[in-house]
Amino acid sequence: MKKRKMLLLMVTAVLIVATALSGCSKSTNDPNSGSTKTSPTPGTTTNAEEGESSDIWEFGSSELSFSAFQLYNWQDFPATMDDNPFWKYLKENKKLNIKSVLGSSNNLQLMATMMANDNLPDLIHGDRNHPDFLKLYKEGKLVALDDYMEKYPNLKKWLSSEAADLLRSPDGKLYQFPNYYTTIPNGAAGYVVNKKIYKELGSPSLETMDDLYAYLVKVKEKYGNEIVPFEPDQAANANGIGLIYTGHKENSYYRSLSSGTIAVVDDANNKLSSLYTDPAFRESQKFVSKLYREKLISQDMFTAVDRAGIQERVLTGRVAIYAASSPLTWAMQGDTELSAKDPDAGYFVTWPIHKAGLDKNKIFTGSWDKLGWNVNVITTAAEEPEKIFAWLDWMTGPEGMATQYFGPEGGNWNGFDENDRPIFTDTYNKAEVAKLETDNVPVIIVGNTTYIDPIKMDYEMAKPEAERSWLLTNQEAVTWRTTNDATALATNLTPQAGTDLADIDVNVREIFAQALSASATAKSDADVDKILDQAQEDSLAVGYGELLEWRTEQWLKNKELLGE
Amino acid sequence: MSQVKAKENFKSIPPKRRSVNEKSFLQRLWKQIDLQLMVWVGVLLIFVFSYIPMYGVITGFMDYSIFTGARIFENPWVGFKHFESFFNAPQFDTIMRNTLVISLLKFLIGFPAPIILALMLNEVRRRFFKRTIQTITYLPYFMSWVIVGSMVMSLLSTDNGSINIFLQTLGIIDEPINFLSERNYFWGILVTTNVWKDIGFNSIIYLAAIAGVNPSLYEAAEMDGASKFKQMYLITIPTIMPIIIIFMILQMGSLLNAGFEDILILAQNPSLRPVSDVIDTYVYRIGILNQRYDYGVAVGLFKAVVSIILLTSANYLARRTGNSLW
Repeated sequence: MKKRKMLLLMVTAVLIVATALSGCSKSTNDPNSGSTKTSPTPGTTTNAEEGESSDIWEFGSSELSFSAFQLYNWQDFPATMDDNPFWKYLKENKKLNIKSVLGSSNNLQLMATMMANDNLPDLIHGDRNHPDFLKLYKEGKLVALDDYMEKYPNLKKWLSSEAADLLRSPDGKLYQFPNYYTTIPNGAAGYVVNKKIYKELGSPSLETMDDLYAYLVKVKEKYGNEIVPFEPDQAANANGIGLIYTGHKENSYYRSLSSGTIAVVDDANNKLSSLYTDPAFRESQKFVSKLYREKLISQDMFTAVDRAGIQERVLTGRVAIYAASSPLTWAMQGDTELSAKDPDAGYFVTWPIHKAGLDKNKIFTGSWDKLGWNVNVITTAAEEPEKIFAWLDWMTGPEGMATQYFGPEGGNWNGFDENDRPIFTDTYNKAEVAKLETDNVPVIIVGNTTYIDPIKMDYEMAKPEAERSWLLTNQEAVTWRTTNDATALATNLTPQAGTDLADIDVNVREIFAQALSASATAKSDADVDKILDQAQEDSLAVGYGELLEWRTEQWLKNKELLGE
Repeated sequence: MSQVKAKENFKSIPPKRRSVNEKSFLQRLWKQIDLQLMVWVGVLLIFVFSYIPMYGVITGFMDYSIFTGARIFENPWVGFKHFESFFNAPQFDTIMRNTLVISLLKFLIGFPAPIILALMLNEVRRRFFKRTIQTITYLPYFMSWVIVGSMVMSLLSTDNGSINIFLQTLGIIDEPINFLSERNYFWGILVTTNVWKDIGFNSIIYLAAIAGVNPSLYEAAEMDGASKFKQMYLITIPTIMPIIIIFMILQMGSLLNAGFEDILILAQNPSLRPVSDVIDTYVYRIGILNQRYDYGVAVGLFKAVVSIILLTSANYLARRTGNSLW
């Protein structure tokens, strides 16, 4: 009895100690411990090394090590530098050591944890409208880049000063290094047509919305349920059906339907006004709901959020027309696979479809943006922010760009001509270049579009027509020409989290998401009107008017900065 | 009268005599020290891991900035601001209605279903057949909602979905029906999927309870000429009633848990929100996705308070039948 009691006592004692220890272990994660440093306010952080290093640091001249993180749930940087050709080159030749902070599809939650623990990565890459960037700025956690931009040559040369002004935060400083910034249109939106079906149906005219409707009816009659007549990409984000909207009004903006904008440009009064009162939006939603009722458009467009189904149908040629803000990648794959089996099969990109009576040259399926969409920020956690900037600046310059897109010097290219363009060698390997670009996508965090696109295009156009890339040919012929500049409409229109406007924004977005889907799948034209009337009323009730006023103000400010 | 008398009698006993057989508190404690230590480990664990983290709920009464991390007292107090904005939110009525309707439907259909399955399985005499049915009905419970959701979606899809093809082959419909975009079908699909997923696993407990019924009761009933149905009605159900009531009370506590993963996965179409949006999906969308943590906490706290009220009242009602939880 005594023995048993002793054993019990010992077991319980061990348990108690274990409990106490596990309870205490929490304190090691306590953000209080050791974080006594005060956060600098915006504007005081500009140049930590001011005075002591006025000389330019040349990238690769000495070791550089920092941590990097992607603010996207669906993308991480490569786990190690050896996993990616460009990073491997940097590690082996430029003394660079990047430590990836991996979110493994929980990046947004990890970001929140890192903010709460004051344990930020040195470099963050993500959508420039992401609210976390505003939060980090407000909290003084970002390093201003203005002084560095003056010291280093490339960003200053390639980013136009008005674009830089537009990127500036409310305190007038630049905290964000943009990605895919450009001065030339780089739009990708468009309608992709299935060649074989088109031919079998007698290659009818596909210019107006009426032509489109007649064509889809024919597809349905001939192929039944085998083929989806019209496949819009990501309808819930207004992606594919947004193209139909832009076809109903000259000079309209695809961006108007973005959940971060939800407004149309009212040129007459120089303001942004309600989307629901725009006759073109109503008309296009009626057109979409007619297609839906008559089963001419994908019936799953709002239900199947997973894009795998769409991809599968495009790659196997089970769609007659595919519309998306960026349809070319999948269409190119589909074209390659289908034409390999049957030379007549494949896809082509058609000129934007428009409502009869409108000028087809004033229809813009998509919008482009001088600032691209992603940005890189350097946080105050970085020990050597200037060196990180120097690296970004090197990447956005000719040497960095050429290495990212064409591999290290001495392979596909050797030296630069008088225009700073890489000189391609005789051993230029087309397949290797294509693979490099795909492999490097996750690490091309500064893409100088103005520089690289013409180089790629000129190289392609120098070849005989039959050998040219499907992608570049279609970009050149259609998509680059049929997008308009929506920079002013895409910048600084997101209210800061925590403000009343942000709450309004959330509610307006919610109503829009529902109204878009409900009206596109409505039972009759009258229902479309009813749904949109209700959405207008509900939105106004939660403060849409106020939001539109604020957005107008921001938009006018942007236009002024851009000199429009 | 007798009570008063007893009291008087008790008083008349001298204090010394009263404690003759009683040891002091410490002595008693020492005597059961092994049991005490075991209990206190549990209490300590619950305190550390379930009570201490609860301090986070006070962010529901603050304007919480994520950068303060665990130093939450640096945030300004705002009282019931977030609760008020939830009650005034345009979605409030819809969310409350959906939460109640969906959870009631799940309760009314999902609660009796495993009991009925258990009663039916109990009547099956062939062991092999019974085991097979049990295994088949358990299986879906172990699949994640992501898998179940995609199975349901592909079954109901308009593009080569089996159910649409089946109905078309039978000539019941001409054109595929878009089941997952129709508001009228959503509750039905949701509840059916839930019942299908959980019925087997939830029936285990009732099967175990039925196994504990004294076989002589059935034998006696059979002698008296009671039919199978009568035996079930008069013996099996009354015997497992206490278990049923206890599970019912527990279920009441989570009545406002209308679901989260299942709705998130099945109600992808935003136009379903008027019938699909419940408190949990709303908290996820507004609180987590839009990073309004303080607001999310306030809404979650409101739900917890309502749940406690429901649990307590269910227990109060059950106490009258003599089968309460506490």
